[in-house]
Amino acid sequence: MMMNQLALMRREVWEHRSIWVTPSAVAMVVTLLTLAMFVAASKFGDITDMAIIGASSVGDHERRMALLATLLGYTSVFLIAMWILTIFYCLDTLYSERKDKSILFWRSLPITDAETVISKLLTAMLLIPLVTFAAVAASHLVNLVLISLWINSEGGSPGTLIWGSVPLFDTWLALLVVLLAVPLWISPLLGWFLFVSAWTKRNPFLTAFLPLAVLPILEYVILRSHLLWDAITARLSMQSMPLFSINPDLIFDDKSFRNLRLEDLSLLKLLDISKLLSSLELWIGLIVCGLFATAAIYIRRYRDDS
Amino acid sequence: MTSLVTANGVSKRFGDFRAVDNVSFKIEKGRIMGLIGPNGAGKTTLLKALLGLTDCEGQLSVLGLDPFRQRKRLMQNICFIADVAVLPRWIRVSQLLDFITATHPNFSRERAEELLGRTKIKRSSKVRELSKGMVTQLHLSIITAIDAKLLVLDEPTLGLDIIFRKEFYANLLNDYFDGERTILITTHQVEEIENLLTDVMFINDGKILLDATMDSIPETYAELQTSGAHADTARQLGPVYERDVFGKKIMTFENVDRAKLESLGELHTPSVADLFVAKVKGAAA
Repeated sequence: MMMNQLALMRREVWEHRSIWVTPSAVAMVVTLLTLAMFVAASKFGDITDMAIIGASSVGDHERRMALLATLLGYTSVFLIAMWILTIFYCLDTLYSERKDKSILFWRSLPITDAETVISKLLTAMLLIPLVTFAAVAASHLVNLVLISLWINSEGGSPGTLIWGSVPLFDTWLALLVVLLAVPLWISPLLGWFLFVSAWTKRNPFLTAFLPLAVLPILEYVILRSHLLWDAITARLSMQSMPLFSINPDLIFDDKSFRNLRLEDLSLLKLLDISKLLSSLELWIGLIVCGLFATAAIYIRRYRDDS
Repeated sequence: MTSLVTANGVSKRFGDFRAVDNVSFKIEKGRIMGLIGPNGAGKTTLLKALLGLTDCEGQLSVLGLDPFRQRKRLMQNICFIADVAVLPRWIRVSQLLDFITATHPNFSRERAEELLGRTKIKRSSKVRELSKGMVTQLHLSIITAIDAKLLVLDEPTLGLDIIFRKEFYANLLNDYFDGERTILITTHQVEEIENLLTDVMFINDGKILLDATMDSIPETYAELQTSGAHADTARQLGPVYERDVFGKKIMTFENVDRAKLESLGELHTPSVADLFVAKVKGAAA
């Protein structure tokens, strides 16, 4: 079972090269943007010097916050890319094996339909976030090294400005939690996409998104309510994810910010994993995901359209 | 238990249409069974039921297992090549070997490598880069390297040129078949497999028209080429099917004493293809 899952997930990486190409491409783009920033900054020599002097003289709080914001800025691009990648992966994976007629070959091997669908779910919810995380961490390192070299060449001290101020491991741990939590939070949608991928005869993208747009409109027209719309948008927004323990806005409020201890300026401290795991919405979402995945297994097993 | 496959009153309905209609048969171990039938006769549906790809009514046992409900265990001991079960085009040959090594308990990587070594297939090639003939070679090499008890081939050589087709069956006999393994094969090109079959089964409109060993065919069936008054005499003996070829009558007889026929014209054993036509047309008449 375990061996089969590993082999099946490795197959997903072979088939869907976008699983590693997408985060690698994003890593390359953000690195190029960093390099472009140096070129742009070189046009403003005096201002750059002032900025470095400024950065060297501000408090530890501000410097730490600025670095966290930089790291988060880098990460957000990866997060959006992961989001799109995961959706397209789920929509494609059970559809393409039918389209290229390889499904019967896969089914000629001693692997159950349940094992196959579970491997696709694990790829979406575990493998893609882990690969994305590896790319995030690598891009952080590369970009921080590049920025250090640049600061050094401009006469600043990267030791103080960057490496002494950045809680790197703490930040990475927090980002890993967020990257793994996002697919859990949007799992009902991922389950729906997998189901559509197994079920539709044409254009999984339209088949999946049309009901997501039409049903809320129907609900509003007929019932004058917007429960469905609220449920969908809640899954699509990061803020509504029950993972954050304090309002992030608080950090940007000057007074309360100054009163925080330096080590409390940590992304990890903003996360409350137990709050996520004890949230009813999360478990309802996972059950909905499980139902859709079961339906996908059932369709793959019973439908005979080859 | 020597019967690998036992079907008892097996039916498969699609709405009102009976694709397979109350079919019963057995396939014994070590046989090469040809399943012959026109398009839409129910061949593929029957094979899918045997492979556990579709559910059916009646009792069906393959290797002592219920194919639909115990598909995973069944697939450890069954292989199939179907023209609809194509190898994924994106995969590399080496990846394919890695994957099957990891998931199939009865797959011998060494054997597959050895068989592939005789072909021009490169391990680094993707399936989409191979010709149709090479893809079939690859598929057959993989399947030959699986220690399976039953091999099911559904139109395995469709779309291949004559050289690849001949080679395919030669390899099948030399590398795969060892007298212990069992093969069930369907094809339109009956002439090409006629000599390798040990058993033959005709299917039409979901029903079995004939289920016989190849050895029994000369004893049971005779084809008489005759004309004129002899033809009228022969017709009295009740041919199952009669056709005209260049002004001569060709009649197919079932269970008629050869001694009675010999004096009426040229007598020989019908080919599987001719016998098939005779049975189908004869049943329709």
